[in-house]
Amino acid sequence: MSSQTPIVVVKDICKTFKIRGRPPVHALKNVTNHVDKGEVLVVIGPSGSGKSTFLRALNGLEPIDSGSIVIDGVELTSPKTNLNRLRQEVGMVFQHFNLFEHKTALENITMPQMVVLKRSRGEANEVGRRLLDRVGIGDKEDSYPSELSGGQQQRVAIARSLAMTPKVMLFDEVTSALDPETVGGVLDLMKELAADGTTMVVVTHEMGFAREAADRVTFMDFGEIIEEGTPEGVFDNPQHERTQLFLSQIL
Amino acid sequence: MDWILDFYNYRVVAQYLPEFARGLGSTAWISLLALAMSLVIGTIAAIMRMSPNPLLWRIAAGYVQAIRSTPLLIQIYLIYFTLPALPLLDRRLDELEGGIIALGLNAGAYMSEIIRAGIESISRGQVEGAMSVGMTYPQRMRYVVLPQAFARVAPPLLGQTAVLIKDSALVSFIGVFELFGAGLVILNERLMPNEAFLTVAACYLAIYTVMLSVTGYAQRRLGGAAA
Ligand SMILES: Nc1ncnc2c1ncn2[C@@H]1O[C@H](COP(=O)(O)OP(=O)(O)O)[C@@H](O)[C@H]1O
Ligand SMILES: [Mg+2]
Repeated sequence: MSSQTPIVVVKDICKTFKIRGRPPVHALKNVTNHVDKGEVLVVIGPSGSGKSTFLRALNGLEPIDSGSIVIDGVELTSPKTNLNRLRQEVGMVFQHFNLFEHKTALENITMPQMVVLKRSRGEANEVGRRLLDRVGIGDKEDSYPSELSGGQQQRVAIARSLAMTPKVMLFDEVTSALDPETVGGVLDLMKELAADGTTMVVVTHEMGFAREAADRVTFMDFGEIIEEGTPEGVFDNPQHERTQLFLSQIL
Repeated sequence: MDWILDFYNYRVVAQYLPEFARGLGSTAWISLLALAMSLVIGTIAAIMRMSPNPLLWRIAAGYVQAIRSTPLLIQIYLIYFTLPALPLLDRRLDELEGGIIALGLNAGAYMSEIIRAGIESISRGQVEGAMSVGMTYPQRMRYVVLPQAFARVAPPLLGQTAVLIKDSALVSFIGVFELFGAGLVILNERLMPNEAFLTVAACYLAIYTVMLSVTGYAQRRLGGAAA
């Protein structure tokens, strides 16, 4: 699937959270990674290992202390970079959806298109309806987020992100807050996106999904990349002790 | 039934209907303009108050403190008499302008505290959702944060608006004709305090009732299903 053109290049990034009165937390320690065009990178690791921080660094939601992140040739950390502009290219789907609560499903998808991309209402509606159909909830366009199930809300969030035609999509434990019966549907949707050639970075505890959809798996612990490789390599033949321990606990 | 005419002579009130209509219109108009001004100032002050820039938030905090700690009547006099004496304006403010500006500035301070509470009640996730699609700070405020914040604090904003409408009676002290002034006309010409002030009170109540239904509508429009 991947064609060797890197969309995301991460070099040596570090991030330390300093809170007064507490020891500093080294959330990212010299993390280096990359994502090629069309590639699906799955990031796994225990809670608190820095997966979310890594993902949030990729669209500048979490500013980093040092190192460099380049998105499709644009240096994210350069002071000259327009972060808002860059975020149009980096979609993000959150664990808790973060849908606009005061907008209907369709408006959640059309508003950013009109505001950010300056699309006309007609065009935005067309894109919005097509994407709602694609994520399987075409009949819910007039529902508010509070009227939708978690799985439905997450589909709207994915559609909202897709509407911006990003170059890469980030998924942060997007099924962790869902009722068990809706998890499978959202994972299937993500597999479809992957099969369509979407460049994706996915943080997940769903090892079945990782095995099936990932081109590459990265295992993180204590803010470091411990091990990475193909799904078969990491899951069936983990080299590092910590990877083995983590997998034995989760599987 | 004679006692009713003694207590409240509606025939006399009917004669003064033009005055009351003019007063009602004036109060409604003054309140509306002052309200619009207070919401704009209140929003700007609330955003400045939350700014990381100490100069900006100190200015906003100072403004709120100054308004809260001084009587409105004195603020009205200061705006009307003292402000034009500064070499900032090349003309006097007329009574209506002075009154509206003073009321708007006064209410703006209280509105800003309410609006700030509203903004702070919007979850970080809403902002991050907006950031993740590339919205700029003003876009996030305009399309995501403020509509939800206003819907959430609509009840206290409405309460503050009621205060503003009632306070607008004070601009009669600088010679603006409004509801209270209309009441004073009956009082002075006929010496009928009941007819004067029961009617005035009823008019304030009428304005408030209209306000209530407008706010209910606005809250539903802004807040989506949650409101
Ligand atoms: N905003 C923050 N302030 C302070 N510490 C944080 C913050 N965000 C994350 N951390 C800490 O950084 C570490 C990595 O967190 P995170 O990236 O969320 O881990 P994961 O997503 O793998 O569970 C954790 O120890 C967490 O407590
Ligand atoms: Mg996390």
